[in-house]
Amino acid sequence: MPAVSKGDGMRGLAVFISDIRNCKSKEAEIKRINKELANIRSKFKGDKALDGYSKKKYVCKLLFIFLLGHDIDFGHMEAVNLLSSNKYTEKQIGYLFISVLVNSNSELIRLINNAIKNDLSSRNPTFMCLALHCIANVGSREMAEAFASEIPRILVAGDTMDSVKQSAALCLLRLYKTSPDLVLMGEWTSRVVHLLNDQHMGVVTAAISLITCLSQKNPDEFKTCVSLAVSRLSRIVSSASTDLQDYTYYFVPAPWLSCKLLRLLQCYPPPEDGAVKGRLVECLETILNKAQEPPKSKKVQHSNAKNAILFEAISLIIHYDSEPNLLVRACNQLGQFLQHRETNLRYLALESMCTLASSEFSHEAVKTHIETVINALKTERDVSVRQRAADLLYAMCDRSNAKQIVAEMLSYLETADYSIREEMVLKVAILAEKYAVDYSWYVDTILNLIRIAGDYVSEEVWYRVIQIVINRDDVQGYAAKTVFEALQAPACHENMVKVGGYILGEFGNLIAELPFSGPVVTVLFCHLAPCSSTFSQRPRRLSKRCCAVTARSMSWLVHLQQTVHNSDQYYVQTSEVVSPVPQATVLEEMPPFPERESSILAKLKKKKGPGAVSVTELEDGKREGGELNGGGERGPETAAMASCVSQSTPSPSADLLGIRSVAPVGASLSSAGSLLVDVFSEAGPAAPSAAVNDDGFLRYKAVLWLSSCKVSAPPSEDPAPPLSEADELLDKFVCKNNGVLFENQLLQIGIKSEYRQNLGRMYLFYGNKTSVQFASFTTTVSCPGELQPQLNVQSKPVEPLVEGGAQIQQVLNIECITDFSEAPLLNIKFRYGGALQNLTLKLPVTINKFFQPTEMASQDFFQRWKQLSQPQQEAQKIFKASHGMDTEVIKAKLLGLGMALLDNVDPNPENYVCAGVIQTKGQQVGCLLRLEPNAQAQMYRLTLRCSKDLVSRRLCELLAQQF
Amino acid sequence: MIKAILIFNNHGKPRLSKFYEHFNEDIEQQIIRETFHLVSKRDENVCNFLEGGMLIGGSDYKLIYRHYATLYFVFCVDSSESELGILDLIQVFVETLDKCFENVCELDLIFHVDKVHHILAEMVMGGMVLETNMNEIITQVDLQNKMEKSELLLADKCSFA
Repeated sequence: MPAVSKGDGMRGLAVFISDIRNCKSKEAEIKRINKELANIRSKFKGDKALDGYSKKKYVCKLLFIFLLGHDIDFGHMEAVNLLSSNKYTEKQIGYLFISVLVNSNSELIRLINNAIKNDLSSRNPTFMCLALHCIANVGSREMAEAFASEIPRILVAGDTMDSVKQSAALCLLRLYKTSPDLVLMGEWTSRVVHLLNDQHMGVVTAAISLITCLSQKNPDEFKTCVSLAVSRLSRIVSSASTDLQDYTYYFVPAPWLSCKLLRLLQCYPPPEDGAVKGRLVECLETILNKAQEPPKSKKVQHSNAKNAILFEAISLIIHYDSEPNLLVRACNQLGQFLQHRETNLRYLALESMCTLASSEFSHEAVKTHIETVINALKTERDVSVRQRAADLLYAMCDRSNAKQIVAEMLSYLETADYSIREEMVLKVAILAEKYAVDYSWYVDTILNLIRIAGDYVSEEVWYRVIQIVINRDDVQGYAAKTVFEALQAPACHENMVKVGGYILGEFGNLIAELPFSGPVVTVLFCHLAPCSSTFSQRPRRLSKRCCAVTARSMSWLVHLQQTVHNSDQYYVQTSEVVSPVPQATVLEEMPPFPERESSILAKLKKKKGPGAVSVTELEDGKREGGELNGGGERGPETAAMASCVSQSTPSPSADLLGIRSVAPVGASLSSAGSLLVDVFSEAGPAAPSAAVNDDGFLRYKAVLWLSSCKVSAPPSEDPAPPLSEADELLDKFVCKNNGVLFENQLLQIGIKSEYRQNLGRMYLFYGNKTSVQFASFTTTVSCPGELQPQLNVQSKPVEPLVEGGAQIQQVLNIECITDFSEAPLLNIKFRYGGALQNLTLKLPVTINKFFQPTEMASQDFFQRWKQLSQPQQEAQKIFKASHGMDTEVIKAKLLGLGMALLDNVDPNPENYVCAGVIQTKGQQVGCLLRLEPNAQAQMYRLTLRCSKDLVSRRLCELLAQQF
Repeated sequence: MIKAILIFNNHGKPRLSKFYEHFNEDIEQQIIRETFHLVSKRDENVCNFLEGGMLIGGSDYKLIYRHYATLYFVFCVDSSESELGILDLIQVFVETLDKCFENVCELDLIFHVDKVHHILAEMVMGGMVLETNMNEIITQVDLQNKMEKSELLLADKCSFA
């Protein structure tokens, strides 16, 4: 017989649920729910007293509605009334409602507490359990005040039923977590610890969670639990698989409890008592031995349970870090798992090895697995596993393998999942810095990092490279030369320009002998233009360093202009352009970077917590930094690292991240982490007032500079280069005005547009596909290069926050000044979680949007056709059909193009002929089109004749993609 | 500690949500959506653990899940729990449901949300594991059902009288 009989449910409830399930739309569902809510409300408010059954039914309905995601703001009172019912089922549903819909109304809590009090003293174990559950689920301060002294009594009383004891243990744990000051264990301590000896395994299971938590907070008071835990564990481990009957899970005796016992032991150092320690080592060896035995069952549950214990045992061995023999066995076992066919085991093995790598006994042993780990990074299908592999590579990195590991991580970055790129970038940056034997390798690595994953290189990382270059004479010339070369690449990431601008500004003089480079100057200019104009809008966001970059690159340009008089194009009469005072300031040397700890380290710590960086690594860094800089003299940045250690914890040798001792993991981690972050945030961004001053000054300089430069205004380059598929996306919209322009996992962009004469209006819809808010959402529309004077696009800024699942709209007004070929760019930036998303698309504004159809007779058409007979007025293309050659589709496309489709003009009825006029602000461009399909060859010949030659060519290009 | 236990179907419709840490309703719904979003896009045969949920707990926080036919069972836990242990726990939960409902299916969870809550309450309390022994859990559930039956019977008798 099933334990739950299906027939005796509440009929009204079932009908209601079926109704909801039959709703065809979200609206219908909401309507049905509102109707039901109104009904329940009126029933509750009505004069007629409801019987328990009805109350129960309505409360169940409310629970169901709540599960569907609707707010429930009433019914609490009725639920409380159910608590005092003496019928079990009514009481049960009342407690359930209150546990699910916790309400902090204090009057209500008082009533609930009263009901709980009654049930606790009822001596009915079922009622007591319900009450204890309720306390554990709500766990509020008021409840702790009311019951914190009562629960321990119930827990240790001799006559308490086992099931009540279990509930009491976890209830007490919950109260201890919310209000530790109210739970005074004192007199109960020893009796609680002895619950580990309880005959009922369920009681031990519940009690061990309580004891673990209490031990973490008061290790000394609870240390007697160690020997009890060891003997309990030993009894379980050595038992036959049938001894524990119901607690044997797929032939493994009490796996859950074994795991919990091993966790509890991780709160303490190895036992001092030789006998206890011997017994424990025996247990651990038995567990390791069992892993090698043939499985007792082929079921995955069997191996899961067995391995759960094994992994906890390995954690304990790593935690003790004192038994070389066990450590080696643990490492070998993990090595086997690294190549196991079960993904879960590979994942866990990588994770455990990460902590093992920080043990001095086994660091070398871990290193032997490097090839397997690199292979995992390259071939694992699952991002979770790849992430673990990257973590392990980071943890096992030292001087001997740094170059290999950094190279592997860099190459992985090219294809890495977006979600982990930022962290990978930080790790590469830290490793490159820590193990840099020669700093030219360091500079190369960071520049590669920017090249490969520029978007994910945070300010901290590129500040740091500048900081290091400034502080190290020996690398400055190399750095200047390298960035100079890097900036000549056809497309440079914004961060590359920033680093390049800064370094050239500082040390450009060291490479004066290199030939003058136009592209480098242009790229710096491109960066300067948008930068300087945004200073005023976001003084807080752009830190002082950013301004400094602009100042630095400008100073380099000044320098160039002073030295390179032979290049007319870039020659500017500096005396006219920059008044003597600012010029002098521009050429001033930057003050040295204030010394502080590596901000990237702080950032990674903030991000990761456990396993990220251990104090030993920091000490390594110190030591190696010392060597690099020659004996006692310490590199400035390593000195800063050292100071960070001493600032963070009272004793520099204390375990900063709690890797060695698991006990204080939770507390010490967060405090150490946040302290570091505080240190950083204090030293990080410049004081606002100074920044504003700087900004104003810089803007002044920049405007002065650019306005009088004879250099033709360079295109304002967008932060991210347009997506590779941007052109394809653009092609989709040549013949249509509405649709989805772009979609990825996070964002969907829809477009609606309308055009009249030379004006257009475009509605952009940005949809957040995730459930998480996008922050700092900004969009920028720009007209690059020669498009600038040809097309005028105006947009209003959008709201900076886009809630999960929400859509926001932006309107663009477009004016066509004269004919154009390029498309305007749309740059979108926002923060999703921590990561900055930055993407650039082409907006589907093409010249044909400004077509006015023109009807004309055959005679007129050919007359005009002949008039436009100069060779440059005609553009022709012969191309293969890339879609079917269906007449109706072709016609629809030509109409979508915006021209008039003329019938009975061409003597050959198979051909299509169109005419239209493109409206621009300055002039009208007449266009004639002829499309000749050849169905047999599946080819087209497309001919365009326009009164303006560039237009024919552009239209021809656009159209050839459409058929 | 277990922060939340979520069951939803392949389309993301929640069938059970139990939070052991207090969030307001909107955040709870967001967590359910985010979790579904993260879990549903994963292939079968990848590992059963993943990080990346941003709404609860940050880096010290994992999703451990199993996918059974039309339903996802997801436990959101912090680093104090054994991953494989939680996987076993999910299995115990599902096997228990299967026994209590006789070949449990999605509809059972829909029409008997209260029962599912009661069964879960016998296993997990305040985010900690209360009992892992399936027979013990089922004994408790049977006890509840007996009481329910006797109350029903009593009610019938009263109405005849």
